Amino acid sequence: MAEPARRLQPIDTTAEIETPEHVRFHYPIAGPARRVVAWVLDWLVRAAILLVFAIFALMGGFAVGDAVAELSAGLLLVIHFLLEWLYYTLWEIAWNGRTPGKRALDLRVVSVHGHPLRVGDSFLRNLLRAADFLPLGYAIGLVVMARDSRFRRLGDMVAGTMVVVEERRAVASTLRIDPPPTPKELSSLPQRLPLSGDELEAIELFLRRKEGLGPAREEELAAMVAPIFASRLGIRNKDSARLLALLHARASERRRPL
Amino acid sequence: MKSQDEIVAARNADWRELENLISRAEALHHLDGPSISRAAALYRALSGDLVLCRARCTPDLVAYLDNLAGRAHSALYGAEPFRIPAFWSLLTRDFPRALRKNASFFALSSALFLIPCAIGIVLALFVPDAASQILPRSMLDGMADMYSKGFDEGRGEGADSAMAGFYVNNNVGIAFRCFATGIFYGLGSVVYLIYNGLNIGMVTGWVTAAGFGGNIGTFMCGHGPFELTAILIAGAAGLRMGHSLVVTHGRTRLGSLRESAPDIVRLVVGAAVMLLIAAGIEGFWSPSAAPPPVKWAVAALFSLLVTAYFLFAGRERGRAR
Repeated sequence: MAEPARRLQPIDTTAEIETPEHVRFHYPIAGPARRVVAWVLDWLVRAAILLVFAIFALMGGFAVGDAVAELSAGLLLVIHFLLEWLYYTLWEIAWNGRTPGKRALDLRVVSVHGHPLRVGDSFLRNLLRAADFLPLGYAIGLVVMARDSRFRRLGDMVAGTMVVVEERRAVASTLRIDPPPTPKELSSLPQRLPLSGDELEAIELFLRRKEGLGPAREEELAAMVAPIFASRLGIRNKDSARLLALLHARASERRRPL
Repeated sequence: MKSQDEIVAARNADWRELENLISRAEALHHLDGPSISRAAALYRALSGDLVLCRARCTPDLVAYLDNLAGRAHSALYGAEPFRIPAFWSLLTRDFPRALRKNASFFALSSALFLIPCAIGIVLALFVPDAASQILPRSMLDGMADMYSKGFDEGRGEGADSAMAGFYVNNNVGIAFRCFATGIFYGLGSVVYLIYNGLNIGMVTGWVTAAGFGGNIGTFMCGHGPFELTAILIAGAAGLRMGHSLVVTHGRTRLGSLRESAPDIVRLVVGAAVMLLIAAGIEGFWSPSAAPPPVKWAVAALFSLLVTAYFLFAGRERGRAR
């Protein structure tokens, strides 16, 4: 396995994928908690399937007699076997790396390079559940996961797979300054702002995050930088957050005619 | 230079269209032709947007695009479908080839199983006290009782199915666990092989000592060639897995493990198919009322078939693989 060369990257639970078209994107990797919930859901589905068959078998046994009861006992054992060893693989092949539980939690199994899951690898990673499960309740699997940067259990390591999160996200909304800047407020600012691109970007990021911050935190963050900008511009700083909004408005105003 | 809001305004329609296309099917190849090429074009355009936005936009927009690109990628490159021809060539070619390539692991796994099996037989026959120390006496006597009647009358069909189900569940499970625990540097496979060898040997010996050796022999000879071979192969695959973790030939342990994965898959899938065949035989043929000479003849035929399969299947003409 050719591991991509290690570069200096922020410590984060994402995996960078480079596709054959040289597109790079990042997958968030699924942690143990999410995967345990998905496993529980799948367990419930399996139990429900077995229960339905068991009820049918029981009714058949009562209605017809011992021969049918034994026949259906054999059938039940075969179904139990299939659910134990093939349930995951069958779903993962049919649904491109997802089982019902994984689908409900927006999880998907992909190869460590981001390629789709292959049949043999799916079979391998699910057989290895027998080792991950030991001594009970996936104890070894959880310990191995906790030590791996991609949260892989033993089965994932053998099969070269990882589990990623594919939760849908909303597109970023447009930035609105409320109330809109008045000409009087803007006139106090110079036409050319003595601010670097990085600083303008930081201001924009702050304004986009503002909705999710409490008023106190908003003021606290704004007060960290606004006085610096104010003294650079040579103006008085009355309202830190408002000043940042005005700076952003002036910067985008200048950018627009381009 | 465009601001983030302008980029979003210009490209949002395309992003939404891609989002709709990929949520319409689990994999894109289920869609019609024009939709697929439209999705591919949108995906390529998205990759351009992603580069632009990573340089210029806020993390929440980049996260949205990353996520959309990831989902489009999964939909565009759907999982390899299960193909019958590929499975067939695995059975006719790749599985026997993989076993021949890993013959030394198969030999080791056979030794780990057969030597304890022989010890078990000897113990049960000559030192019954020791045997009943290892396995509970009630279980051994139960087995002897089970084989005391023989199979002259066969069993009911219902009982046959029930037992076939039991064998599928139990024996295939043992084989799979024997393989999977090989990840612990091969130790799990070693333990499983020795334990099951000893167990089977002891039961056979005990039943023979009780005077029903003929019965258990005629019962086991039918499915034995498939079942025992398959368990040995699963053990060999587990040992191969453990070996690749220890002898890495200069690679990382994980890299070495991945290198051995294709062979391991072939061995385990092949063993699983053999075990299913074995369960069918064990459920329906082995306990049938057919006279012992017929059963032994069929067993000889099965053994010959299995041996010939592993020796010759998948060899290319004029060249040994």
